[in-house]
Amino acid sequence: MREVAFGQYYPAKSFVHKCDPRMKILFLIVYIVAVFLSKNFYALGACAFVFVLVAAFSGVPFRSLLRSVKAVLFLLIFMTVLNLFFYSGETVLWEWKFIEITKEALYHTAFLAARLFLLVLGSSLLTLTTTPVSLADGIESLLTPLKWIRFPVHELALIMSIALRFIPILTDETGRIMNAQKARGADFETGGLIKRVKAVIPILIPLLISAFRRSEELGDAMDARCYAGSKVRTKYKKLTFTWRDLIATLVVGGLLAGVILLRTYTLSLV
Amino acid sequence: MEAIKFEQVRFSYESDERKDANQDVFGLDKVDYALDGVDFVVQEGEFVAVLGHNGSGKSTLARLTNGLLTPSSGNITVLGLDATDEKYLFEIRKQVGIVFQNPDNQTVASIVEDDIAFGPENVGIPRDEIGKRIDFALNAVGMQEFRHATPSRLSGGQKQRVAIAGVLALKPKVMILDEATAMLDPRGRKEVIDVVLKLNKEENITVILITHFPEEAMLADRAVVMSEGKIVLQGAPQEILSKGDELKKFSLTSPKPIRICRELTEKGLTVADGMDAESVAENIRAALNERGIVTAQAAESEEPSKEVEATDGKGGVVCENLTYVYNAKSPFATYALNGVDLQIHAGDFFGIIGHTGSGKSTFVQHLNALLKVPTAEKKYKPKKPKKGKPQPPKTALTVDGYDLTDKTTDFRELRSKVGMVFQYPEYQLFAETVLEDVAFGLKNFRKDVTDEEVQTAVREALETVGLDYEEIKDKSPFDLSGGQKRRVAIAGVIVTKPEILVLDEPAAGLDPLGKEEIMSLLHKIRSEWCKTVVIVSHDMDEIAENCNRAAIFADGKVLRTDTPKRLFADVDRMLDAGLDVPFTAKVCKALKEKGLEISCDFTTQDLIEKTYALAQTKGGQKNA
Repeated sequence: MREVAFGQYYPAKSFVHKCDPRMKILFLIVYIVAVFLSKNFYALGACAFVFVLVAAFSGVPFRSLLRSVKAVLFLLIFMTVLNLFFYSGETVLWEWKFIEITKEALYHTAFLAARLFLLVLGSSLLTLTTTPVSLADGIESLLTPLKWIRFPVHELALIMSIALRFIPILTDETGRIMNAQKARGADFETGGLIKRVKAVIPILIPLLISAFRRSEELGDAMDARCYAGSKVRTKYKKLTFTWRDLIATLVVGGLLAGVILLRTYTLSLV
Repeated sequence: MEAIKFEQVRFSYESDERKDANQDVFGLDKVDYALDGVDFVVQEGEFVAVLGHNGSGKSTLARLTNGLLTPSSGNITVLGLDATDEKYLFEIRKQVGIVFQNPDNQTVASIVEDDIAFGPENVGIPRDEIGKRIDFALNAVGMQEFRHATPSRLSGGQKQRVAIAGVLALKPKVMILDEATAMLDPRGRKEVIDVVLKLNKEENITVILITHFPEEAMLADRAVVMSEGKIVLQGAPQEILSKGDELKKFSLTSPKPIRICRELTEKGLTVADGMDAESVAENIRAALNERGIVTAQAAESEEPSKEVEATDGKGGVVCENLTYVYNAKSPFATYALNGVDLQIHAGDFFGIIGHTGSGKSTFVQHLNALLKVPTAEKKYKPKKPKKGKPQPPKTALTVDGYDLTDKTTDFRELRSKVGMVFQYPEYQLFAETVLEDVAFGLKNFRKDVTDEEVQTAVREALETVGLDYEEIKDKSPFDLSGGQKRRVAIAGVIVTKPEILVLDEPAAGLDPLGKEEIMSLLHKIRSEWCKTVVIVSHDMDEIAENCNRAAIFADGKVLRTDTPKRLFADVDRMLDAGLDVPFTAKVCKALKEKGLEISCDFTTQDLIEKTYALAQTKGGQKNA
C-alpha cells in the first residue's frame, strides 16, 4: 500500500504504461512547450485534445487524475483570484471601490487557469503511468550525452535508484522509532515550535545512525558484488524504441505542428 | 583442490598508528587482533560451518576471503590466487560471493530482477547472458515468480533468497553466508538453509556458513569453532557439537536434539545422539525398549486450573471484539483485526504467536494506545442509534484497569503503566549517555521528578537488566556491545515501573545463549518488577519454554488461547494451520507413533524428566 501512495504510480498495463519512459519524458517536455506556446483557446484546445487522447489510452481513471490536481488547487485558485483583480483591461464588467474586473482580465484569467490545469494534468499523467524506477532509467538515458562533459550520469542514476529503493525501508523505520519513543512518553503533537523541534531529536538521531549503518553495509554488499564504477559496466535493461513509441512520436509531432499552425492561423486573422 | 587457504593470518581493525603506540619498550605488540594466527583450509565443494560468539572473528574471516579486508600478516590463497594482491581482487570477488546479515541492506534496486542483474552488470557481462543468469539464479533459489516483485514487499526469507540469487548471478565457486539467517524467523531460516544445501549438492558450490545456530552447523560437512580470533575446534559437526562443556567455554551451546540425548544419558538413561526429532525419538525408544518398556500411555492428568484473576483488573487485559481497519474508507481498506477476543491475566507470561500479517503487531499496539479504538479518538462523537438497524457488537478493551474505549481515559498515564519494547529496541537509543537515555521515559511521564529520583530509578532499572550502573551510566549508548544496548533499551522502558511489559520479538537476532539470557531476564522482570509480561514471537520453542499461556493469531482473529501444553499437543492441527511446533512436541509425536506416549508441557526440562520417570517405571504401564 505504501508503494501505491508513493510517487502516485497507478499500476496498470495500458498502452501509455508500456511506452518508453524517455519517450514519455520528451513528450511531456514538448507538451509543456506547446502549452506555453499556445496563445489562444484554439491552440490550448488542441493541447487538451491530445491530453484527453493520451489519458484515454492510459487506463488511469479520471478520478485519480483529478486527485493530482487537488494538490495544487490552492495555488490555482490563488493565482486565478490575483489575476482576476489585478489584470488591467478596458472593458469594465464589475467595479467596487478600487477593485475592478474587466472583460480582458476574465478572458486572461480563464486562459491562465486552463493552461495551468493542462500543465498539472500532463505532468501527473507521466508520474501516474511510469514507475519511479523507469523514470530514473529514462532520465539517465536522456542525460547520457552529458557523459561527454564528464558529468557522472551513471553514478547519479545509481544514487536515484538506491534512494528510491530505501524510501519504503526508511519510512517504515521512522514509523517504528516514532512509536517506540511515543511508548516512552514522547509527545510530538503539543507545545510550541521549539518544544516540537526538540521532540524530533529522539527520532532523528536513531534514524540517522541507522541510515549510516545501512549505507555502510550496502557499500560492503556492493563491493562484494564487484561494483567498481561505470568503467566496464553493462546494462541489463536497455530501453527500447517500439512501435508504441513510433505512434507516440507521431502524436508529439502532430501536436507541435497543430499548435504552431493554430498560432499562425490566429495571428493571420488579427 | 583447495578453494580457500589461510596461512597464519592475522588481522587488526586498529590503525597503524595505534599499533605503534601499543608496542611497549621491548617491542612486543599488544595489538588487539580480530584474527590471531589463523590456519584454515576449505576444499572445493565442501560445506563448512563456522561457529562462534559475537566478536570471535568469524565475520572478519569472511571479509578477508574476498578482499573486503586485507590481512595485517600471513597469506590467503583463494582458488589459487593470492588474495592479498590487488590485481586479483576483481577476479576473487567474482569467484567468492558473500551474503550478509541484514536482508534490507544488500539490495540496490527496487525490482528483483534489476537487483540480481547488478553483479553481472558490474563485471561487464553482455545483456543476453545477464538475462540467462537471472533465470538461472532465480531458479536456483526458487523465486521465479517474484522476478518483477518489489523487494520491500517480500518476507525476510524471500529477501535473503534474492540476495543469494544476486550473488549466484556472478556464478561464484564459493559462497559465504555471513550470519545470513540471524535476522530471520524460523521459517525464513529454513528456506535459506534449504537453498544453500541444494546449491552445495547440485551446483557443487563451496559453502562457508557462518552462523550462531548449532542446528544449522549440523548440516555441514565440517564444523569450525572460533573464539578470540582463533580456531579452537574443528571436525565433524556431530562430534564437535556434542562437546557441550567445551562449547560452553566459547559461549556456544549444543543443538537441542543432542542436548536432550546428552542430558538423558547424564541422568542415567543412555540415549545415543540424535540429529532431528525422528532420530531422537527413535533413540529414546531404543533406550526404553532395552529397559523393557515397549508401550506407555499418558495418564489423563487434570491440569491444575489456576485462573489468576485480579479483582481490579490491574496487570491484566480484557479484549472483546476488537476490530481495526487500515486505510478505512478507501479502496485499499484492509481488516488488520477482525473481532479479537482475548484475556491476559495478571501474572501471566503470555505468548502471542502468528505469521507476519496475522494482526499480532496491530493488536499489541492497541495495548498502550499507540493505535486507538475509534471511540477513544478525540474527534469521536457518539452516533445516535438508527432504528431498525442491528447494533454492531460492542468493542471492549480494558488494559491494566484502564478503559481504552473511553476517550476521557488518561492515555499518558496508561502508557507509563504498559511498557512496550519493540523489535531491535537498541535502534531507538539516542541520548548522549546511558543515564539520559534510560531516564527519557521517566522524565516524559513525570514532569515533576527530581534528579535524585531519576538516578535511583535508573540505577534500579539498569541493575534489574543486569548492568552495572556506576560503570555504564556515563557511557555513550553507541559504544556498548549489541547485547548491552538491548538491555539498556529494555531498562529505558521498565524505568517507569509498568504493570504490563509487552515485547515484540525480544530475542530477535541474538545467538542461542543471548536468547536464553534475555528470556531469563524477562522471567526476573516478571517476578520482581512488572506483574505481567507479554511476548510476541515466531519461535515456538521460545513460547513452549517460557510462556504459561499463549494465543495464536491468524487473519486478524484469535484462533486459540491456551496453555502451550494443550496448544502444541495437536501437532497436525498446528502444522495444518501453517504454524510450526516446538522441537519437543515433534519428539513427543514421533514417540507416540512408536507407542510411547509421554505427557509433558513441552519444555525441554519436562520432556527429559518425564522420559526419565518413564524409564524408572516397570514395564511402562504407569506413567506420570
